[in-house]
Amino acid sequence: MSGGFAQYLPPLLRGTELTLMLVAVSGVVGTVLGLVFGMARIGPLAPLRWVAAVYINFLRGQPVLIILLFIYFALPLLFPAATFNRGVTAIVALSVYAGAYMAEIFRGSIEAVPKGQEEAAEALGMGYLLKFRYVILPQAMKVAVPPAIGFLISLVKASALVSVIGFIELTKAGRIISTINEEPLQTFLIVAVLYFIVSYPISLLGRWYERRLA
Amino acid sequence: MTTSTLNGSPIIKVTGLSKSFGSNRVLKDIDAEVAENEVVCVIGPSGSGKSTFLRCLNLLEKFDEGSVVVTGHDLAASRTNLNLVRRDVGMVFQSFNVFPHLKVIENVMLAPTKVLKLGRGAARQRAEALLAKVGLSDKADAYPRQLSGGQQQRVAIARALAMEPKVMLFDEPTSALDPETIGEVLSVMKKLAEEGMTMVVVTHEMGFAREVSDRVLFMADGVVVEEGPPKQIFDDPRHERTRAFLSKIL
Amino acid sequence: MTFYFGDILPYLPLLLQALWVSIYVTLIGFAVGSVAGVLISLARSSRARILRTAAGGYIEIFRNTPLLVQLYLIFFGLGQVGINLDPLWSAVLGLTLNNAAYTAEIFRAGFESVPSGLREAGSALGMSSVQTFRYVVLKPAVRNVLPSLTNQLIVLFLFSSVGSVISLNELTSVLSDINSQTQRTLEVFTYGAVLYYLTSVVIAMSSRVAEKTLFRW
Repeated sequence: MSGGFAQYLPPLLRGTELTLMLVAVSGVVGTVLGLVFGMARIGPLAPLRWVAAVYINFLRGQPVLIILLFIYFALPLLFPAATFNRGVTAIVALSVYAGAYMAEIFRGSIEAVPKGQEEAAEALGMGYLLKFRYVILPQAMKVAVPPAIGFLISLVKASALVSVIGFIELTKAGRIISTINEEPLQTFLIVAVLYFIVSYPISLLGRWYERRLA
Repeated sequence: MTTSTLNGSPIIKVTGLSKSFGSNRVLKDIDAEVAENEVVCVIGPSGSGKSTFLRCLNLLEKFDEGSVVVTGHDLAASRTNLNLVRRDVGMVFQSFNVFPHLKVIENVMLAPTKVLKLGRGAARQRAEALLAKVGLSDKADAYPRQLSGGQQQRVAIARALAMEPKVMLFDEPTSALDPETIGEVLSVMKKLAEEGMTMVVVTHEMGFAREVSDRVLFMADGVVVEEGPPKQIFDDPRHERTRAFLSKIL
Repeated sequence: MTFYFGDILPYLPLLLQALWVSIYVTLIGFAVGSVAGVLISLARSSRARILRTAAGGYIEIFRNTPLLVQLYLIFFGLGQVGINLDPLWSAVLGLTLNNAAYTAEIFRAGFESVPSGLREAGSALGMSSVQTFRYVVLKPAVRNVLPSLTNQLIVLFLFSSVGSVISLNELTSVLSDINSQTQRTLEVFTYGAVLYYLTSVVIAMSSRVAEKTLFRW
């Protein structure tokens, strides 16, 4: 190991960069999707509630791999315009996955806000958008942060799966390198360490935040 | 209720008991004795250390200094097998602590079968007799959830008695109960006292203390301020502090 | 574009067999992993610092690294030092080790949720800590975390699909095979998605039934 391994660090670090990019982009898109579907799920309009429920429940009952493979292979058959390259496919798949889970997190956090708050806002004459924007969502967000951070770590781990469609993030980089150097043990240990370095601080952040809330 | 000392030595002997929680001295150099068959009630304001004192008697609380000898066991000695001590000393808690996932009769049978290694038949017989004694024979197959607070506490008493302890400790047994159910628990305790059980009861029920106990200990700020027969403590207290406490609550 | 969902029907037995592989790999991983999880959880709250750190380290490592990388380490990495596990045992081992870390945290929350008064009552009755744990703490603790455990089981089941990457013949890999053969990509993956979804629903419902029967109080 030792000496020769330094040469593999640059590609592994590049892979880590791409992993971080994937997680950041799909995290943001997923959060937006999650907010939209989460609010639709408990909103006043029944058809929207139904659509959101189907999206959320069906997607949460799927392995990430199936979502990924579906978007990569099957979606273009339905919508030829949806023929993405590997990177975009990866982002779309992870965002869709994130959207479903974030929707549940938002739903839970909105429902955790005491009903009295909503009633007080309504009593003051606030309409739907106003009461959500200034009373309910601000309080819900605080509650949503710990589970969201927990999900962020899941997202980092899920990003490893996009390696199966050939996108060269950290895991795929490790796979390629281990085929070249025939030392999968050392290679993947380093890959694992790199994932750990990315995830562990996030989980510490989550725990710190939870303590602050209490 | 006579105070008998069968072999001369007290069944509980506490000498110089001290305990601190951090920098807070909760028990300060306490001496106390309980004779066999005696009923001792411990009264006092909140924060006086009376519950902590009681919990030192079966080592649910560890103490820092002093000695506690209960039914021949020296609680300060590291060799002492705690589980053996607890077979001789039963405890009833303020929050009952009945096991929610077991039926009433199973609650009473659990420790005799697992700790005393009694056969299931013998344990069941013992449990049924005890449930009859506390007046809950018809609830044997119910779950605690379905019982009132007073009924749950009576189950807890039967459960502790099932170990055939020599001493029963009661930690504010009625403080968490609705007024209507306090009476049923106190009458079970009274019956127990009449049968000669050695009891140490931390309580706010002054009527019970006056009527049933052989001796009353008044504790405040971690010390035993005064002790004596109930008649003395309630009708003719010697200490100012005792008088002040009693005047506020009686 | 026309869709021929009927074309996949002849493959249904194959799909169900592969689903069964996914399921039993999950069940073994869950059962063994949960037992390990209880032990790790107890180690995590033990008084011996070395046990606490070891357990804590184990949990953090397995929760902060992807299952896929763990499987690669088991399947390829161990192979490098001469320990050649076939895809099935690699997947079972990977799922077990992974599940142990997650259930350890779930059980920790479960044990903490049991009021300390119950433990004191067991102790006051003369029961040893092992006895108190086994007869007083365990059942209420599991009951309290049943929803989390069910969720973890479903997640583990969905994770079993990662086994396809190391050539385990579970549902996802068979779906890819059928896709190559028939080219009916949309139809094949739709069948797959439905099968995964229905199984998740069945697991969730079974859990509710279990709660009513096993935890009747």
